[in-house]
Amino acid sequence: MKLFKLLALIVLLFATGSSHSQEVEKEERVPGHYNNNPFKQLYEEFSTPNQYRSASGAPGPAYYQQQADYVMDIELDDKNKKLMGYETITYTNNSPDVLDYLWVQLDQNMRARDSKTPLIQSSGAAPADMAGNFVNQYMGEGFDGGFNIQEVKDTDGKNLEYTINRTMMRIELPKSMKPGDQFEFSIRWWYNINDHVNKRGRSGYEEFEDGNRAYVIAQFFPRMAVYNDVEGWQNSQFWGRDEFALVFGDYEVNITVPADHILDGTGELQNRKEVFSKEMIKRYEQAIKSYEEPVVIVTQDEADEASKGFLNSKKTWKFKAKNVRDYAFATSRRFIWDMMAVKLGSRDVMAVSMYPKEGNPLWEDWSTKVVASTLISYSRMTFDYPYPKAISVHAKNQGMEYPMICWNYGRPDADGTYSDRVKYGMFGVVIHEIGHNYFPMIINSDERQWTWMDEGINTFVQYIAEQDFGEKYPEAITPNKKYPSRRGPAKNIVGYMSGDQSQIAPIMTKGLNTYNFGANGYSKPGTGLNILRETIMGRELFDYSFKTYANRWIFKHPSPEDFFRTMEDASAMDLDWFWRGWFYTTNVVDIGVQDVKKYYVTSKMNQQVKNMMSARGIKESDLPPLVYLVEEGSEDFEESMRTSTLDDVTTLQEYIMDNLSPEERTNLKKPSFFYEVTFEKVGKLPMPIIVEYTYGDGSSERITYPVQIWKTSDKSVGKVIASDKEITKIVVDPDEETADVDTSNNSWPKRKKLGQFDSFKKDKVKN
Amino acid sequence: MKSNLKTIIFCLLIFIFFSGFVAHKFYVSTTKVEYVKERKSIQIISKIFVEDLEQVLQERYSSRVQLDSKRETELDQNYLIEYVLQKLKFKVNGNDAPLIYIGKEYDIDILHIYLEIEEVEELESINIENKILLDLFPEQQNIIHFSNEKNNRNLILDKNRPNGLLNFN
Repeated sequence: MKLFKLLALIVLLFATGSSHSQEVEKEERVPGHYNNNPFKQLYEEFSTPNQYRSASGAPGPAYYQQQADYVMDIELDDKNKKLMGYETITYTNNSPDVLDYLWVQLDQNMRARDSKTPLIQSSGAAPADMAGNFVNQYMGEGFDGGFNIQEVKDTDGKNLEYTINRTMMRIELPKSMKPGDQFEFSIRWWYNINDHVNKRGRSGYEEFEDGNRAYVIAQFFPRMAVYNDVEGWQNSQFWGRDEFALVFGDYEVNITVPADHILDGTGELQNRKEVFSKEMIKRYEQAIKSYEEPVVIVTQDEADEASKGFLNSKKTWKFKAKNVRDYAFATSRRFIWDMMAVKLGSRDVMAVSMYPKEGNPLWEDWSTKVVASTLISYSRMTFDYPYPKAISVHAKNQGMEYPMICWNYGRPDADGTYSDRVKYGMFGVVIHEIGHNYFPMIINSDERQWTWMDEGINTFVQYIAEQDFGEKYPEAITPNKKYPSRRGPAKNIVGYMSGDQSQIAPIMTKGLNTYNFGANGYSKPGTGLNILRETIMGRELFDYSFKTYANRWIFKHPSPEDFFRTMEDASAMDLDWFWRGWFYTTNVVDIGVQDVKKYYVTSKMNQQVKNMMSARGIKESDLPPLVYLVEEGSEDFEESMRTSTLDDVTTLQEYIMDNLSPEERTNLKKPSFFYEVTFEKVGKLPMPIIVEYTYGDGSSERITYPVQIWKTSDKSVGKVIASDKEITKIVVDPDEETADVDTSNNSWPKRKKLGQFDSFKKDKVKN
Repeated sequence: MKSNLKTIIFCLLIFIFFSGFVAHKFYVSTTKVEYVKERKSIQIISKIFVEDLEQVLQERYSSRVQLDSKRETELDQNYLIEYVLQKLKFKVNGNDAPLIYIGKEYDIDILHIYLEIEEVEELESINIENKILLDLFPEQQNIIHFSNEKNNRNLILDKNRPNGLLNFN
């Protein structure tokens, strides 16, 4: 008999749990389907782990990377705006493969007369055009800014056979390179430097009214393409917008410029005594011991004075850089130069800024301090900055990054005043570009394929560094209390994610093929990582895993899976659902409160159970003592239930008296309010349900239901809440931390906040 | 002013170069339109990138226009209001509906403009035309988020389709 009772009970309870599915009787057989569960593991999307890349996300036992060492002599012809170079590349084949040819990148060919870049830009007829521009576009031959390759030779001085396919050059090897082989060859080249302000671009010059130019020079020399286990030769052409994939190596670079120029670039200066004045040396000695305030090495007056000279004589600046993937430099007579030291672990590195006076007073006040603060923040999140210096160079309207040096915008008006827009634009871009030293300069991902791996991850750490900077220098952001970061907070991405789906690409899309490049490559991945850190994983687990990723891939080439796998491997969290939803699809988050029902507890059998029992032929005497829930307003509901307590439920009291010790009884909770809350998931992307329950006495509590609550139910889930206080309000995602695209269903009872419009109008009337 | 136009046209039609950092890089404005029946009011908040707006005002009116700096003048504000009211038009239940300018505020690089349509007893249909910045950026998208107590509707307006009609019957 006892067994029968138990079985009857199981039948009954089971029936209650699935009462929803009984209501819908399907007439036709539904066809089968693949696994469409949002928690499906990513075995199909990820490549299979192998000897090169382990399933843990770490480099595998056979991981390799190629090496390209450069010795270069560069000369700037300031008068003719030409750059000439002679470089010797020593290429080491660390791969297990035999190579028959090498690929070299010729990025400047994007500016050649026969460049195909203009041909892929869709164009419309402009209603008006500048005459000069019109000539350039429709009547002239266009600017000739491509590489002139004068010679490609081996060490014996013999010409090497080569083929140029637009921005890529294939060099035939006289003898195949076996694993471990080295091959040395040289290239002599020159090209015309473009105006990066008026003709746009990342490398080039800005011309000032006094005839001087400020050069910011990058992707200026033929550079080795990457050969690796994922792509073979990374030979995707350079179209202009996409960035780079580059090999690590050691550089020795001698740069000859007019003698009155001030120059800085990637690497450590080898001949300071030859290129610095005695006064500059003295100031430099102060700078390397100044940890709080920058020391000016070249003053504005000195730069003004130098700008008048236009010397014909030349000076050569000599640098050495170890383990960098690229080289860049900036040079001008107009540069003001300041530096300060930053202590990172046991090492000192230099935070450096170079700017024409047009950047002041903003630049002399803040650039170097922003650099220093950024290095500290990024070092905390990853590893101590391994290079000797980081330079922020003022360039009129662009931001772009290279190892140890970057170009940043932010120019005050001519009278030296500037708006918040200019100020925060400058802070943000300096933090961002200095941060790129980590992603992708040191954690060297393939930018051409995966924009998010450098831009997105960097935007995430940028957010942390911005907040740090605001805390360290409150006077810089006053009257704001917190640094007003554009990218990072979840609610700032809602506009993009809730937009027109035809204009949104998954993050896991090659950079060149995305629609809203900024939102797709920067904001959405950056915000996603911030949500992971703050809401899904918590700072401790996230930071440990993120640091593990950074340290596993320092001075190496990670792929997307290496990041995804490491984050799971180091945290013991299955995040496949998040990678799938946030990175591989364009799904959105929209979770809300669908329904709230109030229940009372009684020992009297309710109608629903009676119906179920009679349908199954079960008698009341067949059942063990049960406790029944009656919904407020249902046919079994009686007004007296409102005031009754659990003490009035005889079945319950009998059970307690028979089974619990007096001590256990005193420890029992006595909830008197019972609710069934149904949460709906309108968006396809799962998220933990963060709920704030507010009670009749004004107190509130937060409960976070882990994301796995959605594991078998993609549309809605119910939760029974037993409480000793009445619930007056339920809010889902009260701090807007999950990027919920529609918050109108987030509250029960439906509540209208005083909107932005009303509060603005109210303030307006008051004033 | 000249070099500005040149830069813009060059940017748009010839090469689009992007750098490692984007200020905003995609040309979008969003306008929130909410019908509040109990107040017979249509409340409108338009959010537009300051940089873009400053450029268009410089092109149309004067190269001296400056927004959101200490040098923003009353004349600059008037240009701004004139431009917005010229480019943003509403028809309520089939009739032209005048917009009342409430005010504006800057959120660093984004301008919020507050507008209102009063005395709307019933809302059967609303036609919204938003040509803001379409005269400068061919790829500009002006997104409308409409809501009343029952509906949330979106419109994406651009050069090819600068206005859209929402019916509520």
